[in-house]
Amino acid sequence: MPRQITPYKKIARKIVIAAFLVFTATFITLLARQMNLGPVRAVPAFRAFGPKTAEIQIYEYTDFACPACRAAHLQLEDMLKLYNGHIAINFKHYPLMSMHKWSFHAAAYADCAGEQGKFVEYAALLFENQAAWGRAGKKPAVFFDYAKKLDLDLTAFEACSNKDETIKQVKLEMAEGDLKGVTATPTFFINGKRAVGAGQLLDAAKHFDNLLKAGNR
Amino acid sequence: MNGKTDIKDIVGLASRLIVGGIFIYAGYLKAVSPAEEFAYAIEGYKIVPAWLALWTALILPWLEIYLGLMLATGLFTRFCAAGASLLLLGFEALLAQAWLRHLPVLSCGCFGANGSYSLGGEFARNIALLVFAVLAFRFGTGYSLDSAVDRRD
Repeated sequence: MPRQITPYKKIARKIVIAAFLVFTATFITLLARQMNLGPVRAVPAFRAFGPKTAEIQIYEYTDFACPACRAAHLQLEDMLKLYNGHIAINFKHYPLMSMHKWSFHAAAYADCAGEQGKFVEYAALLFENQAAWGRAGKKPAVFFDYAKKLDLDLTAFEACSNKDETIKQVKLEMAEGDLKGVTATPTFFINGKRAVGAGQLLDAAKHFDNLLKAGNR
Repeated sequence: MNGKTDIKDIVGLASRLIVGGIFIYAGYLKAVSPAEEFAYAIEGYKIVPAWLALWTALILPWLEIYLGLMLATGLFTRFCAAGASLLLLGFEALLAQAWLRHLPVLSCGCFGANGSYSLGGEFARNIALLVFAVLAFRFGTGYSLDSAVDRRD
């Protein structure tokens, strides 16, 4: 008598196959996440420096109250000059709010200054004076003082700082950093490879010439 | 050999691969990106509160991946095609209400941070996908894991 397979066994087989597919898809997707194989979100134009097609692409997760970020900032400025046209640097906010109470505000205000074309200047003021505003007990008035110093439209500056989009942009970059496993600042992704701190940035920079030579072959 | 049946099976297979493939791609892009990104796009439709938008953003990409994968491979084909159709109808309803309410939706959120078409363009694309999903439902069981498992016995 031929063996009868009940419909339930067929469904059970299909469920087993489905479970295998779900497991495999989950594993591959989580692995892709771990390896940063997702799309790279662009930064606003005022935080992108260098050509989009540059051979060396650097994404920096930075905190304006972080002393190491200040040091790295100066190194990056030198790199931009040295590798002019071959390097692109994109700044992303990653305020360490557990350590630096006003970093989130600083990031949002810097973006608002950026909307009026003064991101670089505002960021420079934030870095130079981070010791003062970084440890303030109450919300520092200097955020608006810097805006006045740079002749920004204060009404637009304040309106921008209260916009949901401004807050969301910073929060989104923090979430992106969390997904990429950023735990310290500055963290760099140089052509997709992670470097943490100015020391590792300099180590990576030693290979820039080789990278450029390889690209020219 | 029934040539007419083979054509229907091929149409069904192609439809499954198209809808399944797009669902896998869309789900993958969102699953490897911060959930907040998709959540903000959902909030733009002004239908659900922020906390529910975040939960939706956490769950929906995985649902798209699994549904897409099972549809593409032809497992529980009709169920998955129906599920995909329901999702697409839901997306169409969201887009339609955003258009009617003149909401400033800049990105539909369908493919994560990747740019999207206008609301009208997204609406049209989803209609096309819906047609393929219906074809997958009607003719998608021919070359499928479902039929392979059924034939084995």
